[in-house]
Amino acid sequence: MNEKINNIRINTGHIITNSDLAPGHFLLVIELPGSFPAPSPGQFVMLRTLDRAEPLLSRPFSVYGFRKNGDSAILELLCRIAGRGTKLLSLLAPGARVEVMGPLGRGFTVAPAVKEIFLLAGGVGAAPLSFFLQKYVKAAPVSPVTVFLGARTAVIVTALQSGFAGLCKLHLASDDGTIGYHGAVTDILAEELRNGGNCEGTQILACGPTPMTRALARVLDGKPVRCQVSLEERMACGVGACLGCVVATKNDQGETVYKRVCKEGPVFDIAELVWKPPL
Amino acid sequence: MNEEKINRRPVKLGVGVGGLLLKNPVMTASGTFGYGEEYSPFFDLGRLGAIVVKGLSLLPRMGNPPPRIIETPAGMLNAVGLQNVGIEAFIAEKLPFLRQFDVKVVVNIFGETIEEYRKLSAVLTRTEGVHAIEVNISCPNVKRGGVVFGTDPTVAAAVTKGVSAETDLPVIVKLTPNVTDITQIALAVEDAGANAVSLINTLTGMSVDIESRCPRLANITGGLSGPALKPVALRMVWQVARAVKIPVIGIGGIVSAADALEFLIAGASAIQVGTANFINPVATVEILEGIKDYMINHNFKDIQEVIGSLNI
Repeated sequence: MNEKINNIRINTGHIITNSDLAPGHFLLVIELPGSFPAPSPGQFVMLRTLDRAEPLLSRPFSVYGFRKNGDSAILELLCRIAGRGTKLLSLLAPGARVEVMGPLGRGFTVAPAVKEIFLLAGGVGAAPLSFFLQKYVKAAPVSPVTVFLGARTAVIVTALQSGFAGLCKLHLASDDGTIGYHGAVTDILAEELRNGGNCEGTQILACGPTPMTRALARVLDGKPVRCQVSLEERMACGVGACLGCVVATKNDQGETVYKRVCKEGPVFDIAELVWKPPL
Repeated sequence: MNEEKINRRPVKLGVGVGGLLLKNPVMTASGTFGYGEEYSPFFDLGRLGAIVVKGLSLLPRMGNPPPRIIETPAGMLNAVGLQNVGIEAFIAEKLPFLRQFDVKVVVNIFGETIEEYRKLSAVLTRTEGVHAIEVNISCPNVKRGGVVFGTDPTVAAAVTKGVSAETDLPVIVKLTPNVTDITQIALAVEDAGANAVSLINTLTGMSVDIESRCPRLANITGGLSGPALKPVALRMVWQVARAVKIPVIGIGGIVSAADALEFLIAGASAIQVGTANFINPVATVEILEGIKDYMINHNFKDIQEVIGSLNI
């Protein structure tokens, strides 16, 4: 735990490019000093603009891409416009100065002796999973990976799938039926689990909106599948001091314990989450 | 480096806050700095005058369900609900970490009854490494139908008297701004034995999501902090500093050295930095360096020349 704490930097950087990926989604490519520590998939950063007073608080974004580039580091963040703060960040122009704190939180861990990996991505939840896949396929040996990607509509699904293209088997879903399966992406995953027989060797990594993770928890209820989910919650400090970003979990005694999405998370074992209302 | 800089003599930044001697006037605000661990990777905590830890109760508290925070114009609302590990776990597990640093440790306490405040005070008095007690009276008095302790001068005085009776540590009473006349509360706690007052705590506020038509906080209301608070906090610090003889610690939207200096000039002997830590983990040390720069640039040798120097 201590080595993670000591490996956080606060660095000033600038925007290289800001592109519209799809309606309501943008991709920031940020140049940072080369000393910025390499994030592990599932970790996030806190981003704030240095050129404006708003938004006041930094905003958290999962790492979508990261590479060293000589003396610099290039950080990629795939963002969704969720409210006023992200709307302002979507207007950042190339050259705009930003401050990035990270890498933060606990990322994904794949259990040893895993037969296959399923990645379940809902909308912008694709970002950390895409980063995971890119890193995972470079490590060896690897188990086969299947990606289940869902979003509201075709143009968003198409934009998000580029992070997975060519690296795995890909199943698509859209809420409005304009691409792939018409309905919840968890439906396709459920079908795959049913057809797959024994799923003890399956590891699922998931990231997406709460209705998706809730549906996933119902699908998995009682099944011996290992599953981690990356959660999202409003944050102020991002480092575990303010206690603003908690999620209800249950401990071994079945008692409810609040854990910090920024510190004990954002990746949690799906089995420890407490659901309100109950599943 | 020019000659002027080489010839600078160090400025004197030491301040006394009701028996608590600080090497400089920069403190962290309770609830914004945990118990120190989260921010220790970013700078040497020993550079600060004091750390005021997250408020502690006799027993651990879970706090409120999420959502607990929401950003508002130039600020934020929080309804964390005083989640804390409880006084015993703090002493056993958290205090040893803080004691590694050359910084004063101020323990913020709260209770649901006056008796709980007394017990906390007694326990802390016997605890090595604790330099002062900050009394949070912005919470509801369970025995009196949930009316906030700090909104009634008589009750605020009773809490203060109870805490003071159990300790010889400096007692700092943290005042709530959710009152008609904060000077009345300040005078009452001074009379009851407070060695200093710190103000302001958060202002009660609210935010609504117009799509769901639900409050944005699970608790419905929360405490407003951040720059939006500064003019109100500053005015209250000025008013209280004129009314009482004991030292005043200024809190409320301080994000820069200039902000801190406004409070010192208005009469605060020290300041606390809160929300700014979330935005910039090294805000406190930047503020400290900025105060030094100001003093050098204005030929002040001692911070006491700045404190209460408002020209009116």
